[in-house]
Amino acid sequence: MRAPNAAPLLAVDNLSVDFGEGSPKALSGVSFELRRDEVLGIVGETGAGKSVLARSLLDLLPEGGRIVEGDIRLDGASVLGLSETEQGKLRGARIALIGTNAKALLDPVATVGAQIARVLRAHRACGRREAWAAAVDLLAQVGIVNPERRAKAYPHELSGGMAQRVVIAMAMVANPDIVLADDATLGLDATIQVQVLDLLVKRCRELGAGVVLITHDLGIIAHYCDRVAIMKGGRIFELGEVGRFLEGPRDDYSRTLLDAARVRPTPMAGQGEGGGVTDEAHAKPLLDVRRLEKFFPIAGSTEVVRAIDDVSFSVGRGETLALVGESGSGKTTVGQCLVRLLECDGGGITFDGVDITDMPAKEFRPLRRRLQMVFQEPYVALNPRWPVRALIAEPLRLDPGLDAKGREHRVRQLLDLVHLPLSLAEAYPHELTAGEQKRIGIARALATGPDFVVFDEPTTALDIRVRAQIIDLVRDLQAEIGMSALFITHDLNSVRSLAHNVAVMRHGKIVEYGETEAIFAHPTQDYTRMLLSAELPIEQGLLQRDRAEARRLAGTA
Amino acid sequence: MRATFTRYLSRHPGAVIGLVLLGLQVIAILFAPWLTSYSPVEADPLASLEPPSLAHWFGTDVSGMDIYARVIYATRINLLISLTAVAVAFVIGVPVGLLIGFYRGGLSSLVMRVFDFIQSFPIFVLGMALVSVMGQEIWNVSIVLAVLFIPMFARVIRAEVLSLRERPFVAAARCSGATDFSIMFRHILPNALTPAIVQISISVGLAILLTAGLSFVGAGVRMPTPEWGLMVSSGAQQMILGVWWVSLFPGLAIVIAVLSFALIGDMAKDLSDPTTRDRR
Repeated sequence: MRAPNAAPLLAVDNLSVDFGEGSPKALSGVSFELRRDEVLGIVGETGAGKSVLARSLLDLLPEGGRIVEGDIRLDGASVLGLSETEQGKLRGARIALIGTNAKALLDPVATVGAQIARVLRAHRACGRREAWAAAVDLLAQVGIVNPERRAKAYPHELSGGMAQRVVIAMAMVANPDIVLADDATLGLDATIQVQVLDLLVKRCRELGAGVVLITHDLGIIAHYCDRVAIMKGGRIFELGEVGRFLEGPRDDYSRTLLDAARVRPTPMAGQGEGGGVTDEAHAKPLLDVRRLEKFFPIAGSTEVVRAIDDVSFSVGRGETLALVGESGSGKTTVGQCLVRLLECDGGGITFDGVDITDMPAKEFRPLRRRLQMVFQEPYVALNPRWPVRALIAEPLRLDPGLDAKGREHRVRQLLDLVHLPLSLAEAYPHELTAGEQKRIGIARALATGPDFVVFDEPTTALDIRVRAQIIDLVRDLQAEIGMSALFITHDLNSVRSLAHNVAVMRHGKIVEYGETEAIFAHPTQDYTRMLLSAELPIEQGLLQRDRAEARRLAGTA
Repeated sequence: MRATFTRYLSRHPGAVIGLVLLGLQVIAILFAPWLTSYSPVEADPLASLEPPSLAHWFGTDVSGMDIYARVIYATRINLLISLTAVAVAFVIGVPVGLLIGFYRGGLSSLVMRVFDFIQSFPIFVLGMALVSVMGQEIWNVSIVLAVLFIPMFARVIRAEVLSLRERPFVAAARCSGATDFSIMFRHILPNALTPAIVQISISVGLAILLTAGLSFVGAGVRMPTPEWGLMVSSGAQQMILGVWWVSLFPGLAIVIAVLSFALIGDMAKDLSDPTTRDRR
């Protein structure tokens, strides 16, 4: 039935992995095949075993992990019995891994050109100069502008997107048969993500390599993959053509996942009465920012980076403003100035009629009760030595009316508010999932019942379902306690259901500012339009559909 | 907490060895008079340089003193000197390091330059100078060592604080209304302490070796006070004549003491950090 050229390039057969005797299995009975010139997507939430799967294919399981059952065959030959040296030859040469956070994957003390050349020389005999020229060539192929100069750059001098391109170039050095991309674009701006994935898939198609794309974004699956596998708890729940999966998943869990991803943010309800609030709010806004400026000096130069350049906006009571922009646009700096983590260099901030721009820290401290912030990266913003209970109780010290018992009670209330079980009170941050950590961050910010909260990227790097839950949670809280909020995000689409107003930021300036629906309906700036189009819709593109059709025909012929 | 500790011990045999070795030293300190019938300071010229035998388990030294008795009694003096020195250095050095790491300014730089001065000064010259001023007492040896160790503790803590103070959780704590004091002592210090704890075990070992060195140049304890380093150096002259026991046994005692503190230091480091506490 199957054409001979469709013999599987990689066959995983009933693979099970665990971490030591008696521990629950990280993978149980996973089977799939990957053919040449095929992109297989693997989707699942955090902890579904996606990364363990990718690592077991390379025999790079974290300490304690071992394959207890099953087989991995490459072109029909099992790879499990191979010696360490033979495995080493396999890695990079035939199977290449592209991981998350490219910057961390690169050696910080070597130039990227030297690193690529090193990989080249490991795989084929060539001279130093030749390898360097080839490295520059590769950088050009992955679309890096001015490759000769960039080859001499160190990883910290590159942006996240550029670093990811370098890692892709390295992975492609030895023309591998199989490329494993493990959440390769996590944490990149949506616009960059599309560019990087386009490049990756295009390069693999040129080489005829098989690709395993591991992600939690169904938009990526719909856009780039031929087949998709849905994973949960170490099992594959569904495996099939992407087109058929998008039409109607057979499995209940896959359906929940797809539905959660498909939920389009509903426009803010009751814009009419909201308009009334806005008028009133504009009369006396809770927070008013006038011509804010913040400069950072550039080392070894008299020039400065204008991180915030003449930014003005205001937020009324019960109102939400979304501050949208790509990384480096200065939006996080604005948030940090508002809560006085940074001193601004010009302009003014008025909170509830009080000018807080240059207020001494001691006088400002009581105001912190009313002005809170949820930090971007949930893990690093929590003290690793503190249990959850202490972390949530910390801001409660700002409330002099609460004794130890009252605080204890409030901690329990707050855990409940962010839908976390009380049993987590004694857990430490490293024992929590990213979603739980994020909720702890939110609970901390809400502990004192603030009037104004800055949410810095509240939904990035979270699973689809968790993201939806967090947005729901914030919206409910706003309805319940009527706080105002500033939402800082790079994903314009995610704020549609939350924000009354949107300010689009670029290079430290607000380029577009207005009511959310107006901006969604008629964006006036090209930049805004680009941000709006960056998110991948969960439907197959024309090109993908044609490919699927061609494959179907080839299969039946 | 107790369950965690027991589980930790069952997975880390090194920690058990460390505790056992420490236990041996505690026994030597508490029960020295019952462990030997000899006096550690009584010379017997007739029994000079006798090899290990049933009468003298570890042999005798050049003045005929029983080495076993001296090794046992020396535990008291050696641990007294090193532990007080390290404890004083820890109690002073850690807060100083925290402060100069957190508040960076003219005063902090000045303190750092003073540390540079102390650490660049030859320790034996410093030791002899202090001892000649204050008198040749055990306590003075402790003080000399403490002065030398304070900059070490302050430096490791400062280095940690410098990176920790920029971490987002510190900013988050500030947003939650934490005061400077609370940020320093409740947020940064617990995270900065691990290298200082490791430094304790290194310093105890170093203290024993330096005590020996100071005794050797005559700025430390004097004969016939039983002290391991002094015993090793006094036996060094006979070593080439094949008289190995005079130096070997106090040397082994030093090894045991240093090793036990190194192993316990590792254990304390793991247990103080919730992210490694339960890892095997």
